[in-house]
Amino acid sequence: MTIDADTIHHLSEVQVSVELQTEDMTLNIGPQHPSTHGVLRLVARVDGERCFDVQPVIGYMHRGYEKLSEVRTYPQVTTIINRIDWVSGYANEVPFIVAAEKLMELEVPERAQFIRLILTEMARISSHLVFNASYPLELGAATPLFFALRERERVLDLLESVTGGRFHPNFNRIGGVKPAYGSGSTTRKQLQDLPAGFLGGTRNAMEKVLESVDQLEALVADNEIILARTRGVGVLPPEVAAAYGVSGPNLRASGVPFDLRKTQDYLPYDRFDFKVVTAENGDCWDRWWVRLQEIRESAKIIQQAIDSIPSGDLQAKVPKVIKVPKGETYVRAENPKGEMGYYLVSDGGQGPYRLKIRSASFSNLSILPWILEGILVPDIIAIMGSLDFVLGDVDR
Amino acid sequence: MDLLADLFSNFWVSLGGKLLLVAMMIPLVGMVIGFAEMKLSAKMQYRVGPYFAGGRWGWAQLIADGVKFFQKEDIIPDDADRPVFKFAPILVLIGTVALLVVIPFGPSLIFRDLDVGIFYALAISSLSTIGILMAGWSSANKYSLIGGLRAAGQLIAYELPLVLAVVGSVILAGTMSMQGIVEAQIEAGYPYVIFQVVGFVIFMIAALAELTRIPFDMPIAESELVMGYLTEYSGFRFLFFFLAEFANMFTMSAIAATLFLGGYWLPGIPEDVLEFAGPIILIAKVFLLVFVMIWFRWTFPRFREDQLQGLAWRWLVPLAFVNIAVTATLKVLL
Amino acid sequence: MTSSPSDTQAHPLQSFADRVAEAVGGTAEIHFDTVKVTVPAESWVEAHTRARDDLDLVFFSWLSATDWANDVQAGEPLRDEVEERVELISALSDLTDGRIVLFSTSLDKDEPRIPSLVDVYAGANWHEREAHEMFGIDFEGHPNLIHLYLPDAFIGNPLRKSYPLLSREVKPWPGTVDVEAMPGRADEPSTENPES
Repeated sequence: MTIDADTIHHLSEVQVSVELQTEDMTLNIGPQHPSTHGVLRLVARVDGERCFDVQPVIGYMHRGYEKLSEVRTYPQVTTIINRIDWVSGYANEVPFIVAAEKLMELEVPERAQFIRLILTEMARISSHLVFNASYPLELGAATPLFFALRERERVLDLLESVTGGRFHPNFNRIGGVKPAYGSGSTTRKQLQDLPAGFLGGTRNAMEKVLESVDQLEALVADNEIILARTRGVGVLPPEVAAAYGVSGPNLRASGVPFDLRKTQDYLPYDRFDFKVVTAENGDCWDRWWVRLQEIRESAKIIQQAIDSIPSGDLQAKVPKVIKVPKGETYVRAENPKGEMGYYLVSDGGQGPYRLKIRSASFSNLSILPWILEGILVPDIIAIMGSLDFVLGDVDR
Repeated sequence: MDLLADLFSNFWVSLGGKLLLVAMMIPLVGMVIGFAEMKLSAKMQYRVGPYFAGGRWGWAQLIADGVKFFQKEDIIPDDADRPVFKFAPILVLIGTVALLVVIPFGPSLIFRDLDVGIFYALAISSLSTIGILMAGWSSANKYSLIGGLRAAGQLIAYELPLVLAVVGSVILAGTMSMQGIVEAQIEAGYPYVIFQVVGFVIFMIAALAELTRIPFDMPIAESELVMGYLTEYSGFRFLFFFLAEFANMFTMSAIAATLFLGGYWLPGIPEDVLEFAGPIILIAKVFLLVFVMIWFRWTFPRFREDQLQGLAWRWLVPLAFVNIAVTATLKVLL
Repeated sequence: MTSSPSDTQAHPLQSFADRVAEAVGGTAEIHFDTVKVTVPAESWVEAHTRARDDLDLVFFSWLSATDWANDVQAGEPLRDEVEERVELISALSDLTDGRIVLFSTSLDKDEPRIPSLVDVYAGANWHEREAHEMFGIDFEGHPNLIHLYLPDAFIGNPLRKSYPLLSREVKPWPGTVDVEAMPGRADEPSTENPES
């Protein structure tokens, strides 16, 4: 064949149109992995660095709480449910107790409600500090981990001084909070109220927490590389978030000013002045930023609550053996991770007939197949970290 | 003294001595810098760092780590490509050790003053790249493979700015021999960093990327790929990689100090004092640069692969070209 | 309290409940401050579509079921006999006032089946998978009805009342324990009452 301009042109075109045969690879991220917040398995099909199908496989931490609670009495259920979202232990107990008290039509003393509120906000600060520690670590910055966890120790020490446990307080009782007994006592006489110095110590700790939030913000917020990794990554439109049930800081970062503390009355939040923090874009940076600001708001709420805490009983009068009358109710609360709710069906017995636990991370995690489509592998880590879920909360 | 001088004038004896010295320097330098990293990072994070090993300062920590690595079981994955797997860490270490040959520690303290000193240094440091690729491929592990692929892209991309950044210094000095560049700076009376700031910054960034240190840590990416191309390495093979990273920090900083900061020379110090003080001055400059590298590692998160490549191709390479053009023009005119 | 015409003061959510019931074609009740709307199973998907479009209940909170059975293998049996059924419940909320509505329907206890909600709310996907494996409900039209938590080889539906808890079969309830008293203190009252 003669080689002329036309032939050469044709040959060059043929070269270009032959595609390189590449295979895509199935990559298992997890269940043991440094960044999956627990035992989560993502089956990702990747083509080079771009993944185009991510399926989460969960259930490695399924402990069967809903079935377990059917064979337990109400006080026994409170011993296990603070292990659902173990990072913010106290916040898991409150909606359940409120649901049981609603069915019993109990009036909880104000002092107990204020104490519940203070401890819930401390749980929120603790959870958001863990997020601030682990999220930059997943992006590669190792130093905010130490700053944030150091502050968290203050909060955990306070929690331990009043409840006896750092992570799993089990401090709620039907009708209020647990009255403190003297040590070594085998009688039921209430000896003291809260530990001496708890309220003053909490006030000081909140001031230190506010300072450290400034430090964290200075370290992380203007860092160009963090901005490059998180700005515009993993944008979550509010309509999609609502359809999937994504709640909490994730929803607020997409611009929806929805905070259950303002709309529900499970705790007396209406007495306090705090902002609902929202952001505009719904990307990873906004989710990080919203959580950082929420620490500030929680510290302010705690300071206001300490200043105005009323005196009174810690627990209403309840019978020794608690039977909750027949009925059903659903109580939802603003947990650090999102909306946590308990749907309680009672048949008049000592334990629930059916307890459905609506956990925030379950819905937050269900958005992963949608949000992870067509993005790069490092962004998987960035987006997963910014959704801030805990596998105990997902699997229950 | 005469006996020693006679002994060392024999080529083979002096060669053996030099080899021994180089072989001892690498672990020593690696341990010192590793220890510095542990203590400095602890200081930046409100911690204490190594405390118990060897008394109050924990100075024996890395010696203990070395011994620990040596006595571990040698695990090679079943599906791994055995010869490649075994040879990869050695290749990385060779790339590092061979760099020490051309670094001038004093006016006559250099292992071998090659005429193409800097050219040789840059060429031989790319051997480590092949070693990393071999490690990633032969490990029979998808995470290692991804790490190896990322390393391929990153290391090749950052070779260019590394090479182009030193051209400015070479133009100013007029020679590629490392000793010659230092002597040119002594003659000129100022370290080249004063006019080659751009080149210096580009070189340091590219050196960080060649070392795969944070912020250019994608091939390892501990929180994503477990350990990237190093995932399957344990025991003394991992020790080779580990030492190679720290020793490479030393050698890259030494090259930067030689080309830009004046090497073993400080203004105002006479020649004969430099014979003794030269190494100390050079090591001081090197540790300054190493401190900056450690500081960056613990402050910044890591770049994503495409951002990293964008930085290299769209910013560093054009800047380096502009730097060369300006330097050459000014050298001709002035 | 459940609303009844004899209440002197109507529940604050009563008008909202009536509005929802009218829009979706069901009956509304208020149980202890919770609005519950019962719809027939045939109009399950239709009711949700109307709730999403007309009532602005765009937030899909959760979907689960309750197994009303008289033979309870694990836990206390019911005090009064009920008609055995599987009650499917979904919770929808709006994003402005935080008002949540529980939608309820009754399914056959032996072969519960109902059309899937994934076309109306994308988030129903995982919740329906969980209800499927826990209760055995068959959701028609669900794209991927496989086990969510439980291993693939798991047999049975754990949250049905007929499913026993194996640990309770082996050993009866360990709540009240016969603990041997400390030496010399056999007369003191025991303190293992599980109340608090």
